[in-house]
Amino acid sequence: MSDDIKISKTFDLKGLACPMPVVKVSKGIKDVEVGDVIEAISTDPGSLTDIPAWARTTGNEVIKTEQDDKVIRFYIKRNA
Amino acid sequence: MDAKTRDDLLGLFQSKLNEAMHFYLETCTRCGVCTEACHVHASMGQVRYIAAYRHEIIRRLYKKHFKARGKVWPSVGESKELTEMALDELYEAAYSCTGCRRCMMYCPFGIDTQMLMSIAKLLLIGANAEPETLTMLADMSIEKGKSIDIFKEGFINGLKRLEDEVVAKWRQEAGEAVIPVDVEGADLLYVALAGAHSIIPAAAIFNAAGEKWTLSFFEAVNFGAFVGDPTRTKLILDRIVNEALRLKVKEVCICECGTAFRVMKQLSGKHPFTVSSITDVHARYLKEGRIRLDKTKFNVPITYHDPCQIARNGGVIDAPRYILKQLTDDFRELAPEPAYNWCCGGGGGLVALGEDTLDFRMKSSRVKVDQVRGTGATILTTACENCHTQLSNLRDHYKMEVDVTFLSSMVADALVPA
Repeated sequence: MSDDIKISKTFDLKGLACPMPVVKVSKGIKDVEVGDVIEAISTDPGSLTDIPAWARTTGNEVIKTEQDDKVIRFYIKRNA
Repeated sequence: MDAKTRDDLLGLFQSKLNEAMHFYLETCTRCGVCTEACHVHASMGQVRYIAAYRHEIIRRLYKKHFKARGKVWPSVGESKELTEMALDELYEAAYSCTGCRRCMMYCPFGIDTQMLMSIAKLLLIGANAEPETLTMLADMSIEKGKSIDIFKEGFINGLKRLEDEVVAKWRQEAGEAVIPVDVEGADLLYVALAGAHSIIPAAAIFNAAGEKWTLSFFEAVNFGAFVGDPTRTKLILDRIVNEALRLKVKEVCICECGTAFRVMKQLSGKHPFTVSSITDVHARYLKEGRIRLDKTKFNVPITYHDPCQIARNGGVIDAPRYILKQLTDDFRELAPEPAYNWCCGGGGGLVALGEDTLDFRMKSSRVKVDQVRGTGATILTTACENCHTQLSNLRDHYKMEVDVTFLSSMVADALVPA
């Protein structure tokens, strides 16, 4: 987990079937205030293209992506 | 609804009126043969879910706005004005239909409900009344096509995390790529889904078969087709077509995703490569002796759900059965004729809409549950992500004592040296 980012909500997307990771992030980010950051944790390599592409089309921002041996963590700032 | 909006929507309606569509709109004799064909009607028993009823919602608008008798004498012409209320009816008809085309098999005239519902979906897009989740997903896919150079490196790094799991299923020689990407001159381009489960078993099988393959940067699913938007459908298809042309592959192999396969196979046009379902490819490897399976791996009764878009609408019926004969001596058919199999109830974008459609999907698919239970099988396997999700939801909801699996995963788990 990134210590320098204040996270408002975390979404566990591990093992979800297509297209639920993006659907859950898209709906879930509306639960936090504009300017807040959510954390999304995924195991799917496709999320490394899906989540940034979704952010670009919706006006939100992936401010940091971390990968380790097991999971991928996205930190997404709600801008829209 | 103001006059300009109606005119714009009627322009969209007009754009769908090709020769086949005129035939579908002019031909129904209300014989009622389709009544029991729809899994929604068979499960819920409501008239609005009969295929001919769905057709009639489109047909009455057609008569009002495109036929002389409906225009001048609406009550006799059985016509109906395009209004906000009509849009609500179009939504109900289009998004309670999975586009499985089982009704088309029964109709003596072959009226294609999915095609007629494509008019409803296009009008809903024109009125900004389509499910916004599907449009959001389609736009995400299109953006990926535009910006892939930005995302490539992260994706390739992400694949490295999967390599150990691929090798655990099939050991590679040192120095060979476990999950090759962006390989110009490869024979086969594999188009997966976002999930690791769509990549790991497939990679192990390609490697076991000695295939010269490469993984696509893009996901196979076409959300433009789910939402019924021809422009978005084409843009999403073009990403894969352009990648296949750039890499000069001979074959594009679509993962276990029914709509992705049907759309790529039937709507992408003519190209210098062939389009195959992964099930076809696995059956081919078995026939050619390139892979071999351990028949004792799954020593229980197995049944197979034919995904509508791969079997009934895509023609892939024999291949999964050939594979299953190599996996088990106790394969049990779900339906006497696979082409008449009940839909799982999750197609047409309904599964992609997630929990919003869950209650309807469970109620409208009771006949599928009865069909699975009737086999006595303890493994229910399939070759489509949508079907897998829906069948897993049905298993949980109806407490079915059955494991739901992907056929490709079973093949990968049963691999033995050829």
